[in-house]
Amino acid sequence: MYEGKSILELHELLISKKVTPLDLAKDAIELAKKDNCNAFEYIMEKEAIEIASTLGEVEVGNPLWGIPFVIKDNMSTKDVPTTGSSNILNGYIPVYDAAVVERLKNAKAVPIGKATLDELAMGGTGTSGHLGITHNPWDKSHSRLVGGSSCGSAAATAAGIVPFSLASDTGDSTRKPASYAGLVGFKPTWSRISRYGLFPFAPSLDTIGVFTRNVSDAAIVTEVLSGRDDRDSTSSTKDVDHYFNKIKEKCSKRRIAVVKEVVEAVKDKDVRDAFDKTLDGLKSKGFVINEVSMSVELLSSLFPTYFVLSCAEATSNNANMDGIKFGPLSNGSTFEEVVTEARTKGFSELIKRRFVIGSFALMKENQKELFVRAQKNRRRIVEAVNNILKDNDFVYLPAAPSIAPKFTDASDRLSDEYLIADNHLVLGNFAGLPSITLPIGFKDGMPFGANLMGRAFEETELFQVSYELEQVTGLANIYAEGGEK
Amino acid sequence: MEFEPVIGLEIHVELKTKSKMFSAAPVAYGKEPNTLCAPLDMAFPGTLPTVNKEGVVYAIRVSNALHMSIDNELHFDRKNYFYSDLPKGFQITQQRRPIGSEGYLEIEIDGKVKRIGIERLHIEEDTCKQLHFPAFTLLNYNRAGVPLVEIVSKPELRSGEEAMKYVEKIRSIVVFSGVSDGKMEEGSLRVDTNVSIRPKGSDVFGTKVEVKNINSINYVQKAIDFEIARQAKIIEEGGKVVQETRRFDDKKNETVPMRLKTDAVDYKYYPETNITPIKLSDEFIENAIKSCPELAESKKKRYIEEHGLNDYDASLLVSEKEVSDYYDEATKHSKAYKLLANWINVDVASYLNKNIMSISDFPMSPEKLAGLVKLVESNEVNSNQAREIFAKMLEEGVDAKKAKEILGISSQISDLSFIQDAVNKVLEENPQAIIDYKEGKGRALGFLVGQIMKKTQGKINPKITSDLLLEELKKR
Repeated sequence: MYEGKSILELHELLISKKVTPLDLAKDAIELAKKDNCNAFEYIMEKEAIEIASTLGEVEVGNPLWGIPFVIKDNMSTKDVPTTGSSNILNGYIPVYDAAVVERLKNAKAVPIGKATLDELAMGGTGTSGHLGITHNPWDKSHSRLVGGSSCGSAAATAAGIVPFSLASDTGDSTRKPASYAGLVGFKPTWSRISRYGLFPFAPSLDTIGVFTRNVSDAAIVTEVLSGRDDRDSTSSTKDVDHYFNKIKEKCSKRRIAVVKEVVEAVKDKDVRDAFDKTLDGLKSKGFVINEVSMSVELLSSLFPTYFVLSCAEATSNNANMDGIKFGPLSNGSTFEEVVTEARTKGFSELIKRRFVIGSFALMKENQKELFVRAQKNRRRIVEAVNNILKDNDFVYLPAAPSIAPKFTDASDRLSDEYLIADNHLVLGNFAGLPSITLPIGFKDGMPFGANLMGRAFEETELFQVSYELEQVTGLANIYAEGGEK
Repeated sequence: MEFEPVIGLEIHVELKTKSKMFSAAPVAYGKEPNTLCAPLDMAFPGTLPTVNKEGVVYAIRVSNALHMSIDNELHFDRKNYFYSDLPKGFQITQQRRPIGSEGYLEIEIDGKVKRIGIERLHIEEDTCKQLHFPAFTLLNYNRAGVPLVEIVSKPELRSGEEAMKYVEKIRSIVVFSGVSDGKMEEGSLRVDTNVSIRPKGSDVFGTKVEVKNINSINYVQKAIDFEIARQAKIIEEGGKVVQETRRFDDKKNETVPMRLKTDAVDYKYYPETNITPIKLSDEFIENAIKSCPELAESKKKRYIEEHGLNDYDASLLVSEKEVSDYYDEATKHSKAYKLLANWINVDVASYLNKNIMSISDFPMSPEKLAGLVKLVESNEVNSNQAREIFAKMLEEGVDAKKAKEILGISSQISDLSFIQDAVNKVLEENPQAIIDYKEGKGRALGFLVGQIMKKTQGKINPKITSDLLLEELKKR
């Protein structure tokens, strides 16, 4: 009944008492139960109804009051199973809430479920979680992926089940699926939002992410999530601005860079045309578009650099799963046997492959040639990005080279299209910059998006320019109707 | 052949901070297992480390005491390996930039001062405590995450004795600076040694053997001396020392093999990205140093130079922090430093010894002991009486005056005119004794003192009496 409504629309309904938080929670749970995209690890029916029932008088000015949302299952939720979509965490029930979950609960938003992901957030397809493939709700034939790793959060939000969801972003795990699912997908400046309770994949790159169906909603949620948390010593002490209140103010920063080599790597004509059209729209709004250049050599190194660094960090961050505290019970008689059995059974082949690669890169004899070299290259990349942002306020690019691929599509992993057009969003992770994807067009009934990246801690400006871009595209509040079929 | 031993020590010191190095769980010894742990200590996914400031302060204090240069930025790394006592599958440590580097320590060997170089001091976290049974192992996470500093010496020690003195000195520093209990038996100070020998004069290192599990200071010397002799014997018999890890068996008094040390484990160190480098301001470092309680060396110097104690007494007082604290407290109530030191080093020490007790459990407060010393100092009681009073004070838990009263000891009379009168009277009554004294008959003096004591019922101060008597005899 309330399917596809935005946070602000629901807030209005709550204020006018046309609906209660309990109605919204029940409705979202109904929709979640009918979900056929494999978006959910766990539906928090009991918990959601309990929370929604305790909410009394509506809080005007707190737009998250009573709003249902979904949590990616790599975030710790107290007393609620949290698996990271990995068999190694089957049956794990955390004793504490992640900082972002706590903040949303404090704002009286109502969590209704835990969403599927690529196993332990490693992957970009939404196909590697222990519950199997997650489908794209826009594609009724279920032959297209929704992208990952935040596949369940993306699917649930794109199907209109909830107006927003929590995701995470290490390479592009929020912003790529946003492109495939017609969503607004946002990642903040690294350190802006506490990672306490987010299962670590690669902490130097990891951030919390947010899916919404319009830019204003993203600003609302981000504002609540942001701010210092003493439990995450890397979290910033900088004040949090009023992202939402300022969103309609005309952005004072109006220089937008477009990286020529990335755009050229996009071969899909429809995507290119739609992107060019938005450029015209932005120009007509008074933005200055500057075509800038990055070396193809450097851009082609994004993926290998990312892979080495993220796998290296991942292998260490998941070493806690040794079959003693987490993982399947083993009959092993020595520690070596227990840990080997637990990790062999508990992780999928894809994950083990990453761990082996990560370990290999950190080995004494390889570390200089692989890990340290990747670290150095990361610095070169960051330098190149910061150089662009010296004379420009934003970088604007197609978020992905195409609409969501079919499961059967194979990409040429050595093509520019893959290495550059499909992987450039990681620039935001390398440099720790805020970055947002929003829909700009459709092809074959499937949405696709573009991405804006701003300077560190310039979230306010990023939301403002995104809001203007949303006016240009007119693609706010779209969702895949009938996702519950 | 004459051999030169080459010994290096790695000492792990558990810091007695209020909470753990990277979590808010409290630090305490001997509590119910698995009751002192935060989610981080059990490596719950998503938990993050936050640096314990107190731990950093403590590390700075020790680094400073060891004359090390102190890094003004804190960097942490991960040491990656799988082990049942390692909750996270990695240990947070400082590989690239230890907080302290390039320092030294001075020890005294046969009256000569020898400087031992110290390579590094770094902060890390402790592992779980394991309890092994034949069919299973129990894990206690109370110890997981307890702050440690590891102090790595240069291979500049040359004998078991030097090593023992080095460990004693480190122990004294960490205990006096208030950063650790320094108890080897409880594992709050752990010593690992690397021992090798080489022909005297050679500058090539021999094959290194690691000796672990040494849990008392005495064993440090025993283990190393045994190991030196063992290796020398092997070489003299034409054999080769095997690179291995041994442990000290305190029943057999010898080192026994633990495991062969093949290629060193690759710990795949890399930076801990959950803790961004932390700038340490000059002010922070200075405060850490300034807030450090007085170390043994400085106390000893003060006792000798300002209190006039001799080296022996001063050394005894600083052999245990609690003893020197007791003395310091007592000096707030009495300035009779030598007497105080003597009482603490002799009478108190023998009482503690007899009762197998440490001074922290000694029932007499420093103030009460100072009260007793005052009675002695003012000559109100003689030393035998003082010992009786001391025993009574311990028996009844009372102060010195009260104990004296219970014992019915009346004060010695030190009133000079009263004593002078008695001296004069006795001399007048015994002219022959004066003559005897002048003629050099030694017995005369004793006779006169006896007569004076008799006259005064022994209540006068004997020292003053004999002084006055001698003076009076000179005049006559």
